[in-house]
Amino acid sequence: MDDGQFVFLVDDDADIRGSLARALGLRGYVVRPFASAQDFLENYEQDLSGCLLLDYGMPKMDGLQLQKRLNDMGSPLPVIFITGHGGVPESVEAMKMGAVDFLEKPFKQSVLIERIEAALETDRRRRAVDMQISGIVTRFQSLTDREKEISLLLATRPGQNSSKEIARQLGISPRTVDHHRARILAKMDVATVAELVETSLKAGLVSDHDV
Amino acid sequence: MMKSLGAILALALAGLQLLAIAVVVFSSYFTSERTLLEHARTQMVDVGTNVIQHTKWFMSPARSAAELSTALASNQIIRREERENLEGLLFQQLRSAPQFAGAYYGDEAGNFVYVKRQDENVYLTKIVDVAVSARTRTKFIKRSESFDSLEWFFDPEDRYDPRSRPWYREAKAYRNSIWTDPYIFFTSQSPGITAATPVVGFDDRVQGVVGVDIEIRELSSFLSQLRVGKNGAAFILNRNGDVIAHPDPDLLITQTNDGGLSFPSIDTLDDPIARAAFGNRLSGDGVALDGLIQSDFEHQGQQFVSLIMPFGLDDIPWTIVLYAPENDFIGTIKENRTQNTLIAVAVAAMTALLGLALANKIHAPVRAFAVRSALISQGEVNPKDPMPTTYKELENANTTLVNEISQRRKTEAEYRLAFEKASRGMVHIESTTGRLLRVNESFSKLLGFSEEELVGTTFQSRISADDQDTLDEFEDRISGHASFGFEAKVIGKDGSPIWISLNGIFFQADADGGTYIVATIDDITQARASEEQIETLHREIAHYSRQEMMGELATGLAHELNQPLTAITQNVDAADYILGHAPDKVPDVKGLLNEIDQQAHQAADIIRALRALVRKDENIPDDFDIRELLVQARRLVRSDARQHAIDIVLVRGEDLQVRAVRVQIAQVVVNLLRNAIEAIAESDSNARKITVSVQSTDKFARVNVEDDGPGIADSLRLFSPFETTKSDGMGLGLSISKTLIEANGGEIWHEHSVKGTRFSFTLPLKGMDDG
Repeated sequence: MDDGQFVFLVDDDADIRGSLARALGLRGYVVRPFASAQDFLENYEQDLSGCLLLDYGMPKMDGLQLQKRLNDMGSPLPVIFITGHGGVPESVEAMKMGAVDFLEKPFKQSVLIERIEAALETDRRRRAVDMQISGIVTRFQSLTDREKEISLLLATRPGQNSSKEIARQLGISPRTVDHHRARILAKMDVATVAELVETSLKAGLVSDHDV
Repeated sequence: MMKSLGAILALALAGLQLLAIAVVVFSSYFTSERTLLEHARTQMVDVGTNVIQHTKWFMSPARSAAELSTALASNQIIRREERENLEGLLFQQLRSAPQFAGAYYGDEAGNFVYVKRQDENVYLTKIVDVAVSARTRTKFIKRSESFDSLEWFFDPEDRYDPRSRPWYREAKAYRNSIWTDPYIFFTSQSPGITAATPVVGFDDRVQGVVGVDIEIRELSSFLSQLRVGKNGAAFILNRNGDVIAHPDPDLLITQTNDGGLSFPSIDTLDDPIARAAFGNRLSGDGVALDGLIQSDFEHQGQQFVSLIMPFGLDDIPWTIVLYAPENDFIGTIKENRTQNTLIAVAVAAMTALLGLALANKIHAPVRAFAVRSALISQGEVNPKDPMPTTYKELENANTTLVNEISQRRKTEAEYRLAFEKASRGMVHIESTTGRLLRVNESFSKLLGFSEEELVGTTFQSRISADDQDTLDEFEDRISGHASFGFEAKVIGKDGSPIWISLNGIFFQADADGGTYIVATIDDITQARASEEQIETLHREIAHYSRQEMMGELATGLAHELNQPLTAITQNVDAADYILGHAPDKVPDVKGLLNEIDQQAHQAADIIRALRALVRKDENIPDDFDIRELLVQARRLVRSDARQHAIDIVLVRGEDLQVRAVRVQIAQVVVNLLRNAIEAIAESDSNARKITVSVQSTDKFARVNVEDDGPGIADSLRLFSPFETTKSDGMGLGLSISKTLIEANGGEIWHEHSVKGTRFSFTLPLKGMDDG
């Protein structure tokens, strides 16, 4: 819990902000309360890890609008909506946009803690994956153009794309393909073609339907 | 009480008669009296003039005699030395007039010849001769009528000197004939007067003086014979005020202090009437009058007329005074006047009796006519019956009366029919009691009673006994005097309520001020029911609208309520955690509990505000604090307002209690606030504020809700149903608000304010009667 993660709290109600921050603070969370969405946006930095407790109904920019802004910015911050309204259409919209949860005020503290923990875990994990992917991408970028071409063909149709087939498609010898394949596996730090396929998928280099 | 025609006629006749006679009698009396008195005065002047003439005539011989003697003496016809002849001359003069008392001549030397009447037919001569010795100087000779000497003697004691006598000195000084003042003759003790004439010689010197004595007692007897009126009298005054002639000669001689005799002054005359007749006209100069004086005076209650008349002769400076009682002249007509008055009264009494009889005769047909008219109006005589014999004027009146009566009967019949058969209810109500005097078929039918059951009962008994307001209003209306109309609920025979509209007009029942009301009555039960239905519908619409509003508010309210609840759960959690895991922070728990308490109350406030709107609408006005209601209403829309970042500012002001149905007003305020919020929410304005203020105006509280929104187009008919600017609204909110405010005795209106829109409404203040 103390691994540098924040619980960001945006709510226009001072009572809520105060009591929630205090209760969570006692439990050891580092809470950053904000009175409005703008306030939060001005202070938030993307590489800060944690989760966002976001009030749904606020003047000027409400919770949903802020979520959209964060999505637009590509922020990975998991969002837990807390709302007094609790309307179904709003919650559906929020969940569609990637909210991890939608809690109706007043909520049980245990549930909130559970959700916060889950969100922080998600964030942590996502950040780990992000690190992995960025490694894969970096490694992929170190391949030559021919190697990139071959690795994509391999990753796309690993079953059907034998060295011979690829060689025929590219108009080069199968041996050369084998040679390239060994270099690709080495550069991408994978042992097998199957592992390459997995990594490529993870990094988004190829998509599922391509496979 | 009207007076009888007969009495008026009799009294008027008698009175007029008496008046006329009185006027004639008195006018004639006064005219006669004046004329007679005038005549009396003229007569008195005549008498006075007569007296003066008589006196002149009476006295003139003395003067003539004196002057004749003087002429003879001065012409030497009779020499003074010849005393015999002088005596004879004087003797003859004396005999020429019976009023002469004596004639004499005195000269400058002191010689004196005097002849006087002694007794009847006996004369006495006195001769003073200064030339002889004293013993024989004064000689007396008695002579008969024929001048024969009867006896003679000397009187040596006599020292008479004519030159010392007044008549001599006066005539000598005056050098002309003079009259002396009257005086009492020493010898005869009679009043008399002397005419003296000086004898002037060739040398123009007075040689001597001739004197003639004349007794004026004769004047008094003349006056006593004089008729002045019946009981009047006259007397003569000398210039010094002495009375020298008077009907009673005994009054003329008075004793002076030195034993001499003199005339009495008018002031001391022993005749009070005479004194009163002259009055106080004696001055220091004696009798000094400019002309004759006609006067009147009163003595011992009797009225006199008087005349004071100077003789107007240079040598006789006398004044005659005449007087007589008025009654001598007008006594008869005075008596006559009394008689006439008595006659007048008698005639007047007779006239009165005659008038009474006459009036009775004139009045009889009139009375017969009056009786007949009374009988006709009571319906006991047919107007077509022949008239008793009467006057033409009364016959005309009778014709008019008969027409009037038949016209009235016709009108009455028409009214009776109209009244009884009218399709509307009609009643006559006694105004003092409310008793039904007359009812018609429609009214009986409406209530379900028979006419007999209703007449005699009061209208009030038809009103439900527990409906005190209507009872009071009815009592109030019938005790007034203006026509009126009002609506009331009455109870039919079967107990069913019937709404009626009653219009009443006051009529005078009789002369002594009693009034009754003719009222028309319409059954408005049906109309009332419709009105009530409409009212119920209105209230239902308001109710549903409020419910709908509640639904719309629910989300916001839930949020609003969840806020404090959430804070509470958080604070409970914090406290719980401290107690379980952080013993060092236990002191903070108290602060947490305080916060929890506050937040719980916040939640309670919201519930209370909510209850203000969900409370059942009993439609009963109540007194409440309008500001408290505004605070609660703000609470209810706060969530919405916050959603749109709108501030609702409640301007501080006085606390005002209003009288209204609270839940209805809450509905209006919430509606206005929500409209304002929506107006601002739809605008991009930066000033997001709603200002709510309260002020009191006279008998009302006024609430203003002002927003900074874009305003409302003028074309929109606000407060009308289905007029709206909102895409999702029915447009009923303001229409209902208007209905509600007006039902509570207030008004609601809209105006453009500086920044946006202002809605205002009024409500009657607590304790203000909205009627």
